[in-house]
Amino acid sequence: MLSSIKSGLPEQEPPGQDWDAIRAALRRYLRARGTSHDLIDDLAQETLARLVELQRTQQIGSMLALAFRIADNLRVDAHRRESRLITGVDEELRSDEPSLNRVLDSRRAMEVFQSCLRRMPALRREVLVRRRLNQESCRAIGADLDLSTKAVEKHITRGMIDLRRALDQAGIDLVGQD
Amino acid sequence: MGHEMVSIDCQAAQWVERMNRPVLDSDTAADFDIWILKDPRHVESYARLLALWQSEELDAALSDKTWSLRPSNDDGDAKPRGLRGLRRMSWARVAPAAAAICMVAAICVAAPRWLEEQSEFSTGHGQTRTVVLQDGSTIRMDAETRVAARITPWSRDVELVQGEAFFDVAHERLRSFTVETGNARISVLGTAFDVDRIDKDTRVIQVYRGLVSVEAGVGRQWRLPAGSGLELVGERVRSLTRVHGERPGWMEGWLEANEMPVSQLVRKLNRISRRPVELADPALGELLVTGRFPTDDPEAVLEAIAAIHELTWRDAGGRYVLGRQG
Repeated sequence: MLSSIKSGLPEQEPPGQDWDAIRAALRRYLRARGTSHDLIDDLAQETLARLVELQRTQQIGSMLALAFRIADNLRVDAHRRESRLITGVDEELRSDEPSLNRVLDSRRAMEVFQSCLRRMPALRREVLVRRRLNQESCRAIGADLDLSTKAVEKHITRGMIDLRRALDQAGIDLVGQD
Repeated sequence: MGHEMVSIDCQAAQWVERMNRPVLDSDTAADFDIWILKDPRHVESYARLLALWQSEELDAALSDKTWSLRPSNDDGDAKPRGLRGLRRMSWARVAPAAAAICMVAAICVAAPRWLEEQSEFSTGHGQTRTVVLQDGSTIRMDAETRVAARITPWSRDVELVQGEAFFDVAHERLRSFTVETGNARISVLGTAFDVDRIDKDTRVIQVYRGLVSVEAGVGRQWRLPAGSGLELVGERVRSLTRVHGERPGWMEGWLEANEMPVSQLVRKLNRISRRPVELADPALGELLVTGRFPTDDPEAVLEAIAAIHELTWRDAGGRYVLGRQG
């Protein structure tokens, strides 16, 4: 697999990019996002091919951030294609009617989040709502709530960890639910 | 080990927050790559927290405001959050908020170029071109087409300045994708559709996968599912129903006419044909044509149009002229 990637990318590889390392990180990322085992290699390969294509013409700030985003898109597409193949049902119908398990898991996850948010200090909750729902910047939130930007960031980080822990304790895995 | 994992999760959470910012400097971007590659556990923790942060469940939980009703030990009945917030808000609080909004606006306007990725692409006469955007979406451009794309971490906006293009949009839950055509705007989440900016007033939109929303001024909005389309000519609207296949025919070298006025067909042909086609009488442009024609053979197309409407065409040295018989 690795050799095929290399031979597929003749001299387009710019110096300084460790494609093997990017590939390894991509595979881990895909696995951690619940991609089915047999798709991981293909998606990593396709993502790398697109990355190589893009970085030939564009200045890229973070190769990995871009790699993850491309992989996310491919993952969703592959998932749709797969569910269409399995069921033969039109994708729109399919995606509008998720399986019962999916609905139950999703509802439980939401309940866990809600109860975690309820227990959280009100200020932290407010910060999370503003950052995630309203997409406000940390700076704007800080100015509004009389907090330093650093303190806002800290609330968000803590909040995420709290939510993560609540999910773990409830035994729910959000991964692979696209 | 426990301690170490907690600290990795904390760092990962910080990265999730940072990578969701509209503005990110290049040092931070480079640091992200370094951090991810440093330890295999980093990417795993990042992926999990990102899944959490982007999840619809979190969205729903945060939107549900019942938790913001305080336990009632003040005045007995809990009040909706909005009211409480308003009452509390004095002008002293509003002023910094307004300043903050201005500042955010300023930051957004002044976002570094590398992050905004604004690009323009064009094709010449008889050319086609495929462009892959930063988000993984592809734009397949027909001849004589100009497209300007502006991709930011919070939006994906494309302007079809001229011509025709097929858009295969990478699905993203948080960033919508819009195509502006001057008098109609098309918004999607993840789908494939074709937009033809035929002339000053005419737009033809055909949807091959998913669902798109078309907006052409106040109160003029349509939702088009796969297999359907829309032709906008100034204030006139015509719906198109026979949109077949996975992609438009021009991508395989076919010109597909679906009750298309001859004027449109000629215009499309002229994007590719080495010799331009002219109409002897502009009124001929109103005639409708349905069919599938090879784009690389204008004479065959002319022959077919002539046969359908009992017209005739001639080679007028350097150009073709389509006219009435006799």
